[in-house]
Amino acid sequence: MKNGKIAAAVLAAIFFASVSGASAEKKKIEIPPLEGLTARDMPYDMGAAALLEWKIRDCDNQDMTYRIFVSSLAGTGPALRSFTEAGWIKVDEFKGNERLAKDIELPFWAWNASKNIHAVKVSLDNFFGKIQDGSVYYFKVMTLRGKQISESPVVPGAVKGNWFNLSRFNNLFYVILISMAFFWAVTHAKKGNLFIRRITGLDAVEEAIGRATEMGKPVYYLTGRLGMGSMSTIAATFILGEISKRIATYDTQLKVPHTEPVTMTVCQEIVKQAYSEAGRQDAYREDINFYVTDDQFAYTAAVDGMMTREKPAACFYMGYYYAESLLLTEIGSHTGAIQIAGTDAEHQLPFFFITCDYTLIGEELYAAGAYLSKDPVLVGTLRGQDIGKVFAMAVILLGAIGLTLAHVRGWDGLTRVIGNLFNSF
Amino acid sequence: MDFTAILGAWIAVGLTLFILSFLYRDNPLFKIAENLYIGIAIGYIFSITIYNVWIPKIYQPVSNRVFTSLSNWVPWVSKFVTPAGDAGSLTPLFPAIIGISLLTRIFPKISWISRYGFAFIVGYGAGLAIPATVATMFIAQIEGTIQPVFKLASGGAIDLSGPALWTSFSAILLCLGVIVTLFYFFFSLEHGKISKKVTKIGIYFLMVYFGAAFGTTVMGRFALLYGRFFDLYTYRTSGYYHATPILILLVLIFFFVYFGKSRKTSP
Repeated sequence: MKNGKIAAAVLAAIFFASVSGASAEKKKIEIPPLEGLTARDMPYDMGAAALLEWKIRDCDNQDMTYRIFVSSLAGTGPALRSFTEAGWIKVDEFKGNERLAKDIELPFWAWNASKNIHAVKVSLDNFFGKIQDGSVYYFKVMTLRGKQISESPVVPGAVKGNWFNLSRFNNLFYVILISMAFFWAVTHAKKGNLFIRRITGLDAVEEAIGRATEMGKPVYYLTGRLGMGSMSTIAATFILGEISKRIATYDTQLKVPHTEPVTMTVCQEIVKQAYSEAGRQDAYREDINFYVTDDQFAYTAAVDGMMTREKPAACFYMGYYYAESLLLTEIGSHTGAIQIAGTDAEHQLPFFFITCDYTLIGEELYAAGAYLSKDPVLVGTLRGQDIGKVFAMAVILLGAIGLTLAHVRGWDGLTRVIGNLFNSF
Repeated sequence: MDFTAILGAWIAVGLTLFILSFLYRDNPLFKIAENLYIGIAIGYIFSITIYNVWIPKIYQPVSNRVFTSLSNWVPWVSKFVTPAGDAGSLTPLFPAIIGISLLTRIFPKISWISRYGFAFIVGYGAGLAIPATVATMFIAQIEGTIQPVFKLASGGAIDLSGPALWTSFSAILLCLGVIVTLFYFFFSLEHGKISKKVTKIGIYFLMVYFGAAFGTTVMGRFALLYGRFFDLYTYRTSGYYHATPILILLVLIFFFVYFGKSRKTSP
């Protein structure tokens, strides 16, 4: 009898266990498996990120949570290792209705911004440091809803650096467009005289050099703080060539203190060439260009000291400047020199305005070379720049109208197209 | 207090006063600070270049590669030399050669070699600058300027509330401001009556910006000045052996002696 009770209790226990197991099984089945889970290299990046994609499910909502795991070891053993052994790292967690392909910030020409696919970018370098090209990592996605948990199969994905970034295709397009405008303008410039408006600061160059010649004092020319990778330095070196020609003709003393050794050497070649073109090779000296130091304020202190002692008749400040702008021009102003500045460092322009006699604002610096030389090809480039400006003005006007219309009418597609076309990515 | 901290305070106060002495006029104390500053700056940059660039980025990868290859060919080499780090690479030799080519300018007979290096640097610089300029100075500026003029309220109608109207006004002002300012920078167009007026409005926009930039920068510079004055104030205490008052006094005495003497000697 006793045995019978025990047997009945065991049977009942087995029954309830099987029932509860079945119900638990039933509950687990309620989260459908992930479909089409893939891991691949993140397109157009430097090879440090992977992209996980899977189709959205009917059950995807904000009550559900996705957890993304990554491992570098999971697939290396004879079989899939256990959770701890495989070294799974949780890299992301988000709600079921988040992280869709449309949320990836890539333009329409490079990316299918679907609303039906989950797309998750995993920046592997945040977890594994430097990523080797071709490395394979393993991913799995865990779905959680209440107490239910569902795990996807483990998928491998290799990452590599990409040669091309298609998202920047618009940049290439604009470069080509602007280049074409330049070539067109230069070709037409050769055919006839183009008008070029007066730039007062550059008209004063002759006056400044003439004053230095009369006073027998040196002319100081500074090329800014940046190297040859900067547009403003390139423009400054070009203007230096034109000014050097005039200085060589007048037989005035020129001094060009440098803060960047490569710029100094380029300027040596430019000044040498200018003296040669002016037929005054004999007047050229190697020490016209000289290096001071790379340090911003040590350079400033040195140049200030030199200007105070030598009292130059004219000072030119062309190129890019930082906080030293006022420190330099203030001293130049005290020495009584004619000062002409030109920079595209817009934050420094006010300081040049208050201390210099003439200031070239932003693009006037780029135009200075063409203005001084009157070379038709260079003057043509100014026309090219103007075409670029017309394009920018038209785009701003039409873009604002288009965006307003898209916003008011709810045309999301147009908003995305305009946003993508004028995004530098 | 630690002796080095006291010495540091005296040097900091002394050099600050030497540099500030230039506000009166050029003098030997300023010249000392100026030459010291340049010398230290060059020495510092030289050591940074050696330890942060030359050794880790060129010497180590190249020497590692050479020693690893040598060890494979001649096994006994590994008994004497153990390369630190990975197997290394010979790739850094290419930029190193370009860099070293610049030094040939010291020798006039072979200085022509440096032109290859400079050609590479200038070409690379321009190549790097052009797309970066197009992206940041052209596309990004347009992107920042284009904004929807009107916004929708929750009901779907155009939002005409105060803040929304202010946003609309800002968007229109920004858009028009950029266009008229760009007009100022037309070089190949002769300005007629209307375009002259447009240009003038553009100049007003520029001046407003420059005024704002001036104010912001001046405030930043004052913060730097406070920093210097704070140091001078801190180092006045007995803990630093009254560095600030003593050095101010010494500088003033020097000024009286030096400029008094030069006044007497000047005709």
